[in-house]
Amino acid sequence: MERSFAKEIESLRLGDGDIFRGEGILAVTKALLQSGVSYVGGYQGAPVSHLIDVLVQAQDMLDDLGIHLETCTNEASAAALLGASIHYPARGCVTWKAIVGTNVASDALSNLASAGVTGGALIVVGEDYGEGASVIQERSHAYAMKSSMWLLDPRPDLPTITRSVEQGFELSEATNTPVMLELRIRACHVTGEFPARDNKPAKVSRNSRLPGPSAFNYDRLAHPPATFMQEKLKLEQRMPAARKFILEHGLNETMPGELSEIGIVVQGGLYNALNRALMNLDLADAFGNSRVPILVLNVTYPLVPEQLVQFCAGKRAVLMVEEGSPDYIEQALHTALRRADVNTRVHGKGMLPAAGEYTIEAMTRGLLAFMKAEQPQIDVSAADAAFNIALDNRKTAQALIGTNLPLRPPTFCTGCPERPVFTAIKLVEREIGKVHIAADIGCHALATFAPFSLGHSILGYGMSLASAAGVGPLMNTRSLAIMGDGGFWHNGVLSGVASSMFNRGDGVLIVMKNGYTSATGVQYIPSSAGNRVDGLGSGSDIETTLKALGVKWVRTLRSYGLKDMRASLKEALTTTTRGLKVILAEGECQLARQRRLRTDEAKALKAGERVVRTRFGIDDAVCTGDHSCIRLSGCPSLTIKPNPDPLRTDPVASVNSSCVGCGHCGEVAHAAVLCPSFYRTEIVHNPGWWDRVSDRLHRAVIGWLGGARPAQTVQPAAGE
Amino acid sequence: MNTSFSSGRPLCILIAAMGGEGGGVLTGWIVDAAERAGYPVQSTSIPGVAQRTGATTYYIEIWPEQTGKRPVMCLNPMPGQVDVMIASEFVEAGRAIANGYVSPDRTLLIASTHRIFAVAEKSAMADGRYDVSKLFRAAKDHARRTILFDMDQAAKDAGSILNAVLLGALAGSGALPLPSQAFEDGIRAEGKAVDSNLAGFRFGLSHGEDDLAARAAVLSSLPPAAAVPALADRIARLPLAVQTFAAEGIKRLIDYQGEAYARLYLDRLDTVVRLGDEALANETARHLALRMSFEDVIRVAQLKLKPERFDAIAREQRIRPGQPYMVAEFLKPGVEEIASLLPPALARRIIALSDRRGWTEKFHLGMTVQSNRVGGYLRLRLLASLRGWRPRSFRYAEEQARIEDWLDLIRRAAGLDPQLAREIVDCARLIKGYGDTFKRGAGNFERIRDRVILPALEHRLAPAAATDALVQARTAALADPDGQSLGNMLADFEASLRPAIPQAAE
Repeated sequence: MERSFAKEIESLRLGDGDIFRGEGILAVTKALLQSGVSYVGGYQGAPVSHLIDVLVQAQDMLDDLGIHLETCTNEASAAALLGASIHYPARGCVTWKAIVGTNVASDALSNLASAGVTGGALIVVGEDYGEGASVIQERSHAYAMKSSMWLLDPRPDLPTITRSVEQGFELSEATNTPVMLELRIRACHVTGEFPARDNKPAKVSRNSRLPGPSAFNYDRLAHPPATFMQEKLKLEQRMPAARKFILEHGLNETMPGELSEIGIVVQGGLYNALNRALMNLDLADAFGNSRVPILVLNVTYPLVPEQLVQFCAGKRAVLMVEEGSPDYIEQALHTALRRADVNTRVHGKGMLPAAGEYTIEAMTRGLLAFMKAEQPQIDVSAADAAFNIALDNRKTAQALIGTNLPLRPPTFCTGCPERPVFTAIKLVEREIGKVHIAADIGCHALATFAPFSLGHSILGYGMSLASAAGVGPLMNTRSLAIMGDGGFWHNGVLSGVASSMFNRGDGVLIVMKNGYTSATGVQYIPSSAGNRVDGLGSGSDIETTLKALGVKWVRTLRSYGLKDMRASLKEALTTTTRGLKVILAEGECQLARQRRLRTDEAKALKAGERVVRTRFGIDDAVCTGDHSCIRLSGCPSLTIKPNPDPLRTDPVASVNSSCVGCGHCGEVAHAAVLCPSFYRTEIVHNPGWWDRVSDRLHRAVIGWLGGARPAQTVQPAAGE
Repeated sequence: MNTSFSSGRPLCILIAAMGGEGGGVLTGWIVDAAERAGYPVQSTSIPGVAQRTGATTYYIEIWPEQTGKRPVMCLNPMPGQVDVMIASEFVEAGRAIANGYVSPDRTLLIASTHRIFAVAEKSAMADGRYDVSKLFRAAKDHARRTILFDMDQAAKDAGSILNAVLLGALAGSGALPLPSQAFEDGIRAEGKAVDSNLAGFRFGLSHGEDDLAARAAVLSSLPPAAAVPALADRIARLPLAVQTFAAEGIKRLIDYQGEAYARLYLDRLDTVVRLGDEALANETARHLALRMSFEDVIRVAQLKLKPERFDAIAREQRIRPGQPYMVAEFLKPGVEEIASLLPPALARRIIALSDRRGWTEKFHLGMTVQSNRVGGYLRLRLLASLRGWRPRSFRYAEEQARIEDWLDLIRRAAGLDPQLAREIVDCARLIKGYGDTFKRGAGNFERIRDRVILPALEHRLAPAAATDALVQARTAALADPDGQSLGNMLADFEASLRPAIPQAAE
């Protein structure tokens, strides 16, 4: 990783009397240190990557506090890490992106939750839901319910979030149960402040080690017959203890309000938007003083039935504000009221949307409906009018602008080593026809967008090869699976490669070997050239691993070498040799590379060293504006500009200044036999005597032959 | 008690940007300035995978009173409740307007009017650019105030970055209760590229005043036609409307082949001018010049050696005077391109053989030629010098036949329906480029010619129907490189012409 988190690390060192200012996820990290955590682990993914990324660079601080940091190879291994808290009084925290990470972790989580914990176990899940999400829209809530783990969903401000971390550990220890802390995307990135406290060294740590293992105890194994007893324990002891803790420590908050006939029950994470919606109806002020009583569930599982009943009793109706589906809390609320024979009406889904993010707009609409139905004496017509004016304004704007505003999905970075592989696939498909392409999670999934539009299915991280296993045997043509090296180590090596070998699969797999998990923020993986612990590679090599698994057909190719890539890919897809065929497309992540190179280059230029900069360009006069080159590349630096030729109207292609000179344009121009408008320049900075002499010589000869006047004679000779 | 709450509300700022542009930096500056000035502030974002050039947003709320008490601030914007909408690019501003985040009673819209084209716009086979003119209208109608100018250019002029100019424009607008000093202090405190960031900031600051007399991007401007002395009298005889293109065409063709060839151009053009439709003649003047200067290996070599080209490279790539540099060209002529330089009889035989053996697709002569090095220069010079030979080449013969055929179609159509003739002229834009691009375009033109134009000229199809079909066919031909849309369109069109009489026998 080349990005520096020095500033963030400084804020982790704050102590009593300081004010912490920063992002939500960093505040969680700080709260962990204040809670006396013994070990931290996780798997990267937006929006929680920073938790681990920052700690990776804070080794000094971790050493001082004796905290063990494990950068896990997947979420299952992160969940299993919490096994340390089963027997030992060590607080541990792991993190990942949900829902997908929780899916991967769920086997270990089930076993952990069944055995129960001694030390506090906290799972910070980045709930990737709503606008900006990159995964399937599902809820972590289901996992909490099925495994009887507790789920915190705090109000999205830093004091509440950090308090939840600390209370989460206490709750976990008081109930011997792992606790999940759910933070939505925007809450992870929300900025704010809270009064910091000193970091606390853990009771058990690398600096204060356990003398030895605990005594054998079968009851701590998630193994029959203990599992039957553990199931009872969950329901008969741990859950009642959790409910008691929630009530006694006031984890859920009741906000009073004068309109006692009605009330609102809301997930903590949605509270701020609810307050704004209430403001829109003139039912609250900006400081959270509300006319409607509100029950804020900072713990959404388990619910405390008596708390729900007490809040609802005597009211005509309540509105349940619960994002996503199924409506677990709303159903539980109905059940709690029914069992207590309380006849308060419950509104929720219906007035509020069944699917999608609960924005202020969605909540305002729901509240208007709720108030009109249950408090018709309160005049909300002004709010209604203002709301409709805003929506009408949007409607007229949309009518004016039209529906053809170009979409802007993310694309491969300028110079990305994965782009050429998809160009090769497109070119091979022109020759041999279309093939079934099993896509995967990672940057390479961006090839599903234009201009490539390649990929038939995505079944999860590292799952591409496995997801093609049933396709290949049913089709006349071979199928192609694409996987990143991140996905390979995450689980593709086993669920894909080993399974394919075991079943005599005959597919083709391309592994993008760019050296990092780049989509999540360029973290190291087992085959990276570096490692956070000692800076050295881990010695885990993909090609060696494939060979050890028995794969015979393996080609390692430079990903920018379009010609060879195309030939190998065509061979893999058409050869009569049976068995799994793997192409390793090697090329370092350009994001990581440029971060390093830019610094190095600036240093070299400053030191007066010779630096050759390579850039690409397009001749306006030669380009005819067909844009084939763009359809085979989509590079951000390859764009269009108005045609300077007065006779032509179609815009010409153009390379802008963000070009990093990866060479792909030239390769495409050759491989796809495009127009000859591309050129490459190599510009020498701090030239040596030989550069100067040879350059002058060539210019002089060409000038003598009647060729182009050297460019510089046109410009005033400025200083040189 | 019946409380009525004070109408205190936070100031809401939404920033629309593209991943990798540093929208987070801009957000950080604004948050920092608010903190410095003692206002409670909160920001959040949805970066996700949008770090890679995708559209993304950042959202900030500032409580407009200096207080130690923090209000409940929100994490997402609400349509109708955005005070300042900042967009780093013009279509992103349009997206914000379409999403309802710009409202006439409240919103100051600060946006750069430059364009960063989306992939769909770039990858179109002709001109897929979104027409931004309606965005100016939408901005005017939907914002309370606007600050719109090309901030990208301004940043370049000031040696700064776009975000600094946006920040300056925000500070200068007075929309926030923050002194410009608070912003400047933030830039200084951050300590990165302070001078250039401040330069951009100050430029934006001085342009923060209301200005919708925005400079709409002038997409292409026509330079005045240079006088061509040799043929000046013939140009002067053309209708005024046609002269600009004709002069430009003559200039191009003299450079391309010689004066005699330019005269041929004028002769051909005259046959269309005589039809009396100025618009038709004007467009023909433009397309005819392009068609007659068809691209072959000779032309490419000639263009690659032009002195003004090296000037453009030096300018674009910021090469300093005296700085050594090398230019490498990517050339890959195939069997057809090379054979088409030979006399027609020989070329035909070679191409037929090559097609039979499957060489045409397979064999290309890949070369990387260093055009500003002696060896490369000489190779290109040699190719360019074949100009005199060109009229004897196969390609020349073929192109002249195609051009004559096209002109013939135009002249015949003009007698039927002037609109039809104009559409036939415009079909010339399908034919361009080299290699596959050229073949595809020429093929598409032929399909359209055989199935729409000829039926109309032979009175098997009403001219009005043919005109409509031509417009559709042209759009379809440019919709996808596989020719699928055009195939579908033509099939549908022909099906619609068949009499809708039930077939008794079936």
